[in-house]
Amino acid sequence: MDLALQAKWDRTSRTYGLLTWGEERRFGAAKQRLFAEMEGRCLMAAAGTGVDFPHFRPGLTITAIDVSPGMIEQARDRAAAYPGSLTLQVMDLQALQFADTTFDTAVTSCTLCSVPDPLRGLRELYRCLKPRGRLLMFEHVRSRIGPIALLQDVMTFITRRIGPDLNRDTVSNVVRAGFELRRETNVYLDIVKAIEARRPA
Amino acid sequence: MNPNRMQNALFAVGDYVGGLLIGGATAAAVRGLVSPETDMVVAMIIGMTVGMILHLAIGLLLTPALGMFHAMIPGSLIGMYGGMLFAMRDSMQAHTGSLGHAVGIGVAFGILMIAAMHLYDRALRGPVPVHPS
Repeated sequence: MDLALQAKWDRTSRTYGLLTWGEERRFGAAKQRLFAEMEGRCLMAAAGTGVDFPHFRPGLTITAIDVSPGMIEQARDRAAAYPGSLTLQVMDLQALQFADTTFDTAVTSCTLCSVPDPLRGLRELYRCLKPRGRLLMFEHVRSRIGPIALLQDVMTFITRRIGPDLNRDTVSNVVRAGFELRRETNVYLDIVKAIEARRPA
Repeated sequence: MNPNRMQNALFAVGDYVGGLLIGGATAAAVRGLVSPETDMVVAMIIGMTVGMILHLAIGLLLTPALGMFHAMIPGSLIGMYGGMLFAMRDSMQAHTGSLGHAVGIGVAFGILMIAAMHLYDRALRGPVPVHPS
């Protein structure tokens, strides 16, 4: 377990709810549309404080993991309120402790911006998904618009100390990890995206 | 008004308030730091740095209400590029306009940038063509 990473997100867990209040209201509907496609046995990678749990449709069997015990602690009430089976575990996305081909669906929500080695994390998700299993991602990425991308690069020097990187090329990483990219939808500019990919059969 | 529309309208007003605050604050700070004797290149670097610092400070305060991306992305464009433009102006002309005039231009620049970002967002939003991988 990466202890420095864990400590960083434990610190951030104290203010995470406050910092994401507006974002949740702005992006809630888009998340709900994306997560409506979850089916079968589901894995949520980097659950944070569980702000996304209310967007999941009822009745699913979900395992939600996060590297930070502080985040998991704050997610407990939301997990208990979910009308289905939702279990929480402290676990690093880069070293998942699940057998190969365990899950039908994997979901992420602003996750790949925070994982030190995003490609390794995606390969772990690939390993744990069944063939034809779906990966549903709500992520922010590096813009393809030059002046905005430059600003994201500059801001990342600061934001990575307290939270996420702002300049990850997550869509390319999904393909590099072996997934078939099925759908990519811009939610805000070309930065915040809903992404659907699939592990090939 | 339907609650979703009301919420969207309030967020849009918040975006504009954020833009005008960052634009006005950057213009005022640049006016205070850059004089016509300042070399233009130095002035633009000062403007860019001041704009970045102010946008981060104001953006962080606005993030809980507006969301990180809506507060930070337009704010960074206003702060960084606006700071360079304001510094260029203040190093070239002998401060013919008052501080109020400079701040007014900063506010107008902030509002214009937010409007442009809203339009750009509308143009970009939606499905992106996916090539088979």
